[in-house]
Amino acid sequence: MMERMVEKFYKSLAKGKIYGVKCKKCKHFIFPPKAGCEKCGAHKMEWKLISGNGKLLFFSSGNLPPLKFAKYHPYAYGAIELKEGPVFFTQIEGLDVKSVEAIEKQNKKMPMKVKAKVKKMAGMNIVVFKVVK
Amino acid sequence: MAHIGSLKEKPVITGVGCTKFGSVLTTPEIKGLTFQELACEAAFEAIDEAGIDPKEIDAFYIGNMVSHISHLYSHNTQMADWLGLQLKPSIHFATACSTTNTGVGLAAMGVASGKFRNVLVLGCEILSSEPTDDPIKRKAVDPGTLWYWTDFGVDQAYAYHHAYDIATAYGALPTLGYAKKYGVPMDKMDDVMCAVHRAVRIHSAANKKAFVQTTLEQEARKAGFKDIYEFWKSRKNPFLAWPVRVKSALNTVDGASAYIISSKKEAKGYFKKEPVSVEGFHWTSSNYPWYGRDPTDWDLDRTAFQTAMKMAKIKPKDIDYLDVHDCMQIYQLILSEQAGYFKKGEAWKAFLEGRTLYKGDKPMNTAGGRHGKGHAFAASAGAEIYEAVKQMRGEAKGRQIKDEPETSVVHNHGYGMHTAVTVLKR
Repeated sequence: MMERMVEKFYKSLAKGKIYGVKCKKCKHFIFPPKAGCEKCGAHKMEWKLISGNGKLLFFSSGNLPPLKFAKYHPYAYGAIELKEGPVFFTQIEGLDVKSVEAIEKQNKKMPMKVKAKVKKMAGMNIVVFKVVK
Repeated sequence: MAHIGSLKEKPVITGVGCTKFGSVLTTPEIKGLTFQELACEAAFEAIDEAGIDPKEIDAFYIGNMVSHISHLYSHNTQMADWLGLQLKPSIHFATACSTTNTGVGLAAMGVASGKFRNVLVLGCEILSSEPTDDPIKRKAVDPGTLWYWTDFGVDQAYAYHHAYDIATAYGALPTLGYAKKYGVPMDKMDDVMCAVHRAVRIHSAANKKAFVQTTLEQEARKAGFKDIYEFWKSRKNPFLAWPVRVKSALNTVDGASAYIISSKKEAKGYFKKEPVSVEGFHWTSSNYPWYGRDPTDWDLDRTAFQTAMKMAKIKPKDIDYLDVHDCMQIYQLILSEQAGYFKKGEAWKAFLEGRTLYKGDKPMNTAGGRHGKGHAFAASAGAEIYEAVKQMRGEAKGRQIKDEPETSVVHNHGYGMHTAVTVLKR
């Protein structure tokens, strides 16, 4: 039977653990966990905790979030390059998104150090990143 | 490098059809049409223009993306008798917003294999409203629900639940990335996006089948602005996600498009005009995210452009007309550079100079794009194939490129994300 990867990922978040997977064949790191390797195509994976360290590359804040996130609007959403390699998109804490001037000013400071954390959003545990001061 | 592949013979596009893009609730030309009727309107235009006897059509492929709004599955069975193609081989297919670009290659393979002589491809999408229990009564679909269904196209295991924000991911970050990479100040970048939009509107206002029928100048004047740049930066055009303004994004609409793909030999028997040849195509797919460190350089697009152009044995300098997916108008810049139509970092200047207008030296997206023409998901790419064919034949009245293009390249993104690129030649 296929491993229940999505369930393992989300259930681990409840325990504060953030997992990715590493391809056993080519050692490519994949986050969040998927069954196949996007680089070499193999499908034998090893579970690895991520360091949680990353760089925020760009961010902004959209005015049409999906219905389930409407109550959090406005929020910062950005592209993070994880220390392990993958680029991941999620909410970023610790940024001012109240004005376009503030968003523009902070984007000039990229890349910015960020750290992963688990947060409950729209009833689910998800991974968000927080700016490291 | 992707496998390039080839066709044993190059099929041709003969008849093309496209409805007015708008709303079946309010737009007079399509008001009150059901899915079946809207699809038929585009298909019959293609069949009649081609002059083909429907008995000679061996198969049809129908594209539709958001089944929830159509209230349809098995679209092909429900359309067989409506189209006059009862008992013919048929499929419902979809690659989201690139569907009817993908359809060119799919049908070309069916013809080149020898299985089918002539194939009808059509796409139909109604996004304004859904049927009720009474098929002639429709109710409007609100934008939140439309996007809830549309976002089923985006990584539902992880990305969607991680605060997914399409306007930022698909619009804002690529715009920021472009400005940063080429040192364009953000205020200047806003001017560039205004120039791109000006071209969108010049083209859509000249296209009777387009949703938006006014130019940016006309809209600005009506709102009391003499200068379009001032109007662009005013409260009338707020940010969707800084630095992307509302007018740089798509308008969702209802519409249908169709075309007929035949072997050269068959086409000679029924088609009186010069057919357009399918020279090359390629498709790529990727789950979210669609790009890595550089939002302006997608593996998806680079691979699809390069492979389709290699299959067609053309170089970027051979492209006479380019149409790219512009759900967000920043992609007119990013993708024209990715196709090699402009050098890297040069497209923004070309837009400021008006070079991409139908009367410019580097024409692009002359139907009006996804804001001006409007975006009817599975039907839009077919409308762009329609436009390319019309331009190549010299039939794009009011927006005709002076020297009819010999080689056209049409690109589409299918949410999220499939890239389809097709190369046509006359």
